[in-house]
Amino acid sequence: MSHKSGASGSYTLSRKAKWFSSWNSYLFVLPALVFMVIFIGFPLIYNLIMSFQNVNVYNLSGKHDFIGFANYMKSLKDPVFYTALQNSVVFTVLSLFFQFTIGFALALFFNLKFPGRNLFRSLMLLAWMLPVVISGTVFQWMMSGDFGVINYFLQTLGIIDHPINWLSEGSTALLGTVVANIWIGIPFNMIILLSGLQGLPDHLYEAAKLDGANRLVQFRHITLPLMRPTILVLLILGIINTFKVFDLIFIMTSGGPVTSSTVLPIYAYQMSFTTLEFSQGASVSMIMFLILIVISIVYLRMSSKEEVH
Amino acid sequence: MTKTKWRSAGGTLIGILIMIVFLFPVYWMVKTSVTPVTELYHNPPHILPVAATFESYINNFVRNQDMIGYIGNSFIIAAGTMILSLLLSVPAAYALARLSIKGKALIMISVLSIQMLPGIMMAMPLYIMFSKVQLIDNFAGLIFADLIHSLPFAIITLRPFFLALPGGLEEAAKIDGCNKFTSFTKIILPLVKPGLMTVGAFCFLFGWGDFIFALTLTSSNEVRPLTLGLYRFIGQYGTEWNNLMAVATLAALPIIIIFVSMQKYVVGGVTAGAMKD
Repeated sequence: MSHKSGASGSYTLSRKAKWFSSWNSYLFVLPALVFMVIFIGFPLIYNLIMSFQNVNVYNLSGKHDFIGFANYMKSLKDPVFYTALQNSVVFTVLSLFFQFTIGFALALFFNLKFPGRNLFRSLMLLAWMLPVVISGTVFQWMMSGDFGVINYFLQTLGIIDHPINWLSEGSTALLGTVVANIWIGIPFNMIILLSGLQGLPDHLYEAAKLDGANRLVQFRHITLPLMRPTILVLLILGIINTFKVFDLIFIMTSGGPVTSSTVLPIYAYQMSFTTLEFSQGASVSMIMFLILIVISIVYLRMSSKEEVH
Repeated sequence: MTKTKWRSAGGTLIGILIMIVFLFPVYWMVKTSVTPVTELYHNPPHILPVAATFESYINNFVRNQDMIGYIGNSFIIAAGTMILSLLLSVPAAYALARLSIKGKALIMISVLSIQMLPGIMMAMPLYIMFSKVQLIDNFAGLIFADLIHSLPFAIITLRPFFLALPGGLEEAAKIDGCNKFTSFTKIILPLVKPGLMTVGAFCFLFGWGDFIFALTLTSSNEVRPLTLGLYRFIGQYGTEWNNLMAVATLAALPIIIIFVSMQKYVVGGVTAGAMKD
């Protein structure tokens, strides 16, 4: 009723603003906020507190003492931590490099006009959308030593002369998970880069053509500079998402043999759920979290600089 | 004229070749699932199916019904994740896009940074919290955990859909006698249906594909989803890859169905969710 009378009277700006800003606007965000505080904020704080305590499976329901940075020191003294850190870096760098370059090449290709390209483009996304458990299992089968089809292809092509147990040999296990992760990540990189490419203005290329610039010159001097913001966002998102990959490696190798494919998330999992040293695990995930925060800050810095340009 | 025709035919041909190479793992999964055991260990392997059989499907879904239970659980978890994500994210995304509330920037930054959290970092505190309130081995517990990733995604993806609506819709609704809530449900929501479809599909996929929370927050088969069933199956059956691939294919089927039927929404959602931040 009151709304109606307000509308029939003079409809002032302040009334309009009031309608948007009155207290019941908060009711729209409240459920989501309450959820996030309980199920995200609280566990995060709990994790932080635990990382400074001595909680393990034996004293879980009892009293816990604060032990300062002891868990962090212990993690930082564990040689496995450094193996995991190194594996994480190798996994992330190799995955991203190939996901990005292959994804970019495919994006350039699918940016050409030919029949069927929309269908192909969507089909590729299917690989990205499959649950990681499924892709991981399929790659495990393809990479198996005796009857794996990858060994068959490589032997037929003459690249290797005897079958390799890709996932059960220390020297190749991490590489095997990287290959599977590259496959999973290519479509995402391709789609994002493709949508960036499609936003580039045609007239620049036409002008360049008139000036006699060949494709390579066009790519270097038009495509790359204009794609810079997209590429930056994609790479940073890629680093964050690849650094925290857990399922794929857990399914394919469980971090083994021994620790040869143990990355930081696997190491944190083993601390928390295998040896049941909860506080120790909490300290590892806090360190991981700090690394991701640093990367994100670098990202924010870079993207704000981008905006200035 | 003919030159461009040749070029576009060449493009299609190369495209087909890329598809064959890239989608080979998916093909190999389906092919292995219909391969009889005797063929499975044939060396060299046959790339095309020889003597296809549905034996492994019958083994795993008719004779042994464990997998049926896992599939049912996956549906409950995925549907629950989708419904709860939409219920919480839709009004929140609307308010963050079109209403004036204090702390909007802070909320957006928090939502964005939640996406950065490693799953394992959440799994351990959730495990301890949930064991104190009987949410371990509980569908609700798994759905809540899956929302950690799907809710921020849903908010971030939906907000641009609300932003893109023309201004003045609410004023018009108000003149027609709507209040803030009825204008939202009656006028605004029908206009963002494509966004709801995209987000709904993705949240379902998140719930269906979750592994880390299923691994850490369940201990009984009563609530375990198919992803965990498949994983346990690897340990149990070792190298019976035809059985494993039959289960994997069936686990992939809902994804393929959603993908094919909602292609338009899904492709849009990938770019929207990732870049609108």
